[in-house]
Amino acid sequence: MVEVRARRTAAAAAALTMLGPAAACGLADAGETSVATKDRLVIGVNADQPGVGEREGDGPYKGFDIDVAKAIAGRLGVAGKNVAFKRVYSATREKMLQDGEVDLVVASYSVTPERKVKVAFAGPYYVAHQDVLVRASDAGKIRSIHDLKGRRLCKVRGSVSFPRIHDEQGVAALPVEEDGYSACLTDLVENRLDAVSTDDLILAGLAGKAAANGRKLTIVNASFTDEPYGVGIRRSDVDGCEAVNKAITGLYQDGTMPQLLKRWFGNTGLKLTTTVPQFEGCV
Amino acid sequence: MTAVQQSPPAGPPAPATQAPPARRGSAGRLRHAPEKPPAGIARLLPRTVAARVRALTALSLVLLVVLLGIGWAAVANAREGVRVIGHDAGPQVVATGDLYFQLSDMDAQLANALLIGDAPGGGRDQAVARYDDNRRKAGDALLKAAKLADETTENNTARDLLDALGRYERLAGQALLLDRQSPHPSGPPSQQVTELYRQAADLMKLDLLPKAYNLTLDNGTLVRHTYEDRRSAVLMGRTGVLVAGVALLATLAGFQLYLAKRFRRLLNVPLALATIGTLVLVGAGTLMLSGQAGHLRKAKEEGFDSILALSRTRAISNSANADETRFLLDPGRADAYEQVYLSKSQTVLYLKAGNLTQYNAAVQKDLSFEPGRAPFLGFLGTEANRPAESAEQKAQLVNVMNGVLRDYRKVQANDRRMRDLVKGGQRDQAVAARGAAGADFTRYDRSLQALIGIHRKAFDDAVRDGDGGTSGWYAVLPAAGAAIALLVLAGVRPRLAEYRWSK
Repeated sequence: MVEVRARRTAAAAAALTMLGPAAACGLADAGETSVATKDRLVIGVNADQPGVGEREGDGPYKGFDIDVAKAIAGRLGVAGKNVAFKRVYSATREKMLQDGEVDLVVASYSVTPERKVKVAFAGPYYVAHQDVLVRASDAGKIRSIHDLKGRRLCKVRGSVSFPRIHDEQGVAALPVEEDGYSACLTDLVENRLDAVSTDDLILAGLAGKAAANGRKLTIVNASFTDEPYGVGIRRSDVDGCEAVNKAITGLYQDGTMPQLLKRWFGNTGLKLTTTVPQFEGCV
Repeated sequence: MTAVQQSPPAGPPAPATQAPPARRGSAGRLRHAPEKPPAGIARLLPRTVAARVRALTALSLVLLVVLLGIGWAAVANAREGVRVIGHDAGPQVVATGDLYFQLSDMDAQLANALLIGDAPGGGRDQAVARYDDNRRKAGDALLKAAKLADETTENNTARDLLDALGRYERLAGQALLLDRQSPHPSGPPSQQVTELYRQAADLMKLDLLPKAYNLTLDNGTLVRHTYEDRRSAVLMGRTGVLVAGVALLATLAGFQLYLAKRFRRLLNVPLALATIGTLVLVGAGTLMLSGQAGHLRKAKEEGFDSILALSRTRAISNSANADETRFLLDPGRADAYEQVYLSKSQTVLYLKAGNLTQYNAAVQKDLSFEPGRAPFLGFLGTEANRPAESAEQKAQLVNVMNGVLRDYRKVQANDRRMRDLVKGGQRDQAVAARGAAGADFTRYDRSLQALIGIHRKAFDDAVRDGDGGTSGWYAVLPAAGAAIALLVLAGVRPRLAEYRWSK
């Protein structure tokens, strides 16, 4: 606890020193172009999440996040040909934003108070929930996370999803270690484990991929956390953040978001929310 | 420079003896000056003493007008900034911020009414009365928010809110009616009622509250833009006043020197007075504009921002409080409501914790803080870290914030007890304990309001100072301008008269 607190304080101090010069010379800050006025955008995305953000080889990026990113860019007045995607990793997202390597991050990027010290978040554009994916044949037996007791649950190294169930919710599931959720999916389909738990949108993507190969999986719809997916943006770009919020509001109002959700996750049995989420606020 | 060019090589003669005074055009012909006729830009410069005196006079008056114009515009910007932030959009945005509170309290009171059931004491009627009161206030706030909305997306949000509120009302009415038809003591109502309440609560949580929150954010943007535009306009105006003022002062000083040299007089008193007047005007104007920029900043950053953030804190706390009621009301969704309670609590005061038990425990640890180094994040963390101007103000803020933290810990301790009772199978006692916990929550809410009160005072003070700081300047500027202009003319007139006499 002490260690965590010390780190947080250090992060807060770092944020203050960052804020200092920015506040002192507002003009120099305004010199950095806001995302709201850029003609070209580099958007950080995931490449390993089927249905959310995926890239096969050197092909195009595909998925819900990718379409959301394009739609937001469109509303910011940046045409598709001027939008470039760049792969980001969990560990590097904040730094890439701070260094200006990417203008926005749309990569199932949960808004957390710790991250908000380093970067700002527009949105969230969707609030995902941690949920559980099982084989359709087991759907009758596993109805909540408490039913995972004594069953084999995928544990992805470095992911917080397993500890959340095992340590925080106190459900004694049996860990089956893997390196990524695609491997979990293979294990689930081939009966080497009983359940996979992470954000419902990612699960829905996995279920969709399995369905394409003729394997039926079911999402339990027993959500137990809120994961607000935000659009990461440089902390000082308040105008850009507000413009992205406006874009997201517009995308819900004109029906684009409900349509995209339906397109990517409509037939996965996932309960989808089609109304605009509560924004974080830009200042 | 120009004086040297004009002087005969023998040195400067006394002005009175200088041959035929200054008539433009004739001078060159009469004096047969040895130097070449000036070329280029120099041709534009007046070449006789009288013409130069007139030119310097004109230049002084033009600079004076420029100075007054810039000053006038800066005062107008300052007044407009204070008007929008202090009297117009600012207070209205704060009012729309209360919309979130009223909506979430409607839902909280609906849950109360359904949970209390027919228990003696008229609890249900009180809850329904508070529900109605909130609905009326929410309608008012929504109307204000819609008036403030200046863009299509905001207008659409306001319209969608009105629509969703209508649907919520229908569900709430059905739930209350159905609940009355199947009397029950305190505790969960019938399954049918619970089902209706779930629909209403989902509508509130997923549709109404996010939109209400976003609408206030949008309106806050409006205030932020006004603030930034007006404040930078005031600061630019200050720079403009300084530049024009220095130019005018330099001109007046140069004029004074020129007259002293040409006319062999020690001091032109009216001109000196005009110079001093200008100096005072520029100094006072600059100070006033600095002050105005400061008042605007204080109203926005020490007042408005905190008021808005804390009114959100109040609203979110209140809806978390309602999640405790829902936890008791709807055991089927108890896990979800517990999770939502945790995430709302962490929005208010963030400490790292994986589940509510850990969070409840973490909150009871040492939360004492130094402003700028609070060991917690979230809304209260942001407020605890806000810089305060004076030591006195800082002490006051720390003091009230500590009160808020103390009451918040009490609320979290009650929460733990309530959930432990439920987990221990004593649901009835847990429901009964809600009454006592309610008083603790009210105390916490009052502490939050006390904190809001401090910022509201800072806001009101800054707005009053802002109003007072510029009052009178619309009169001061023309009066001072007229006085300075008259002094300049008074200083120049006798000198020019000397030329007329010698003609």
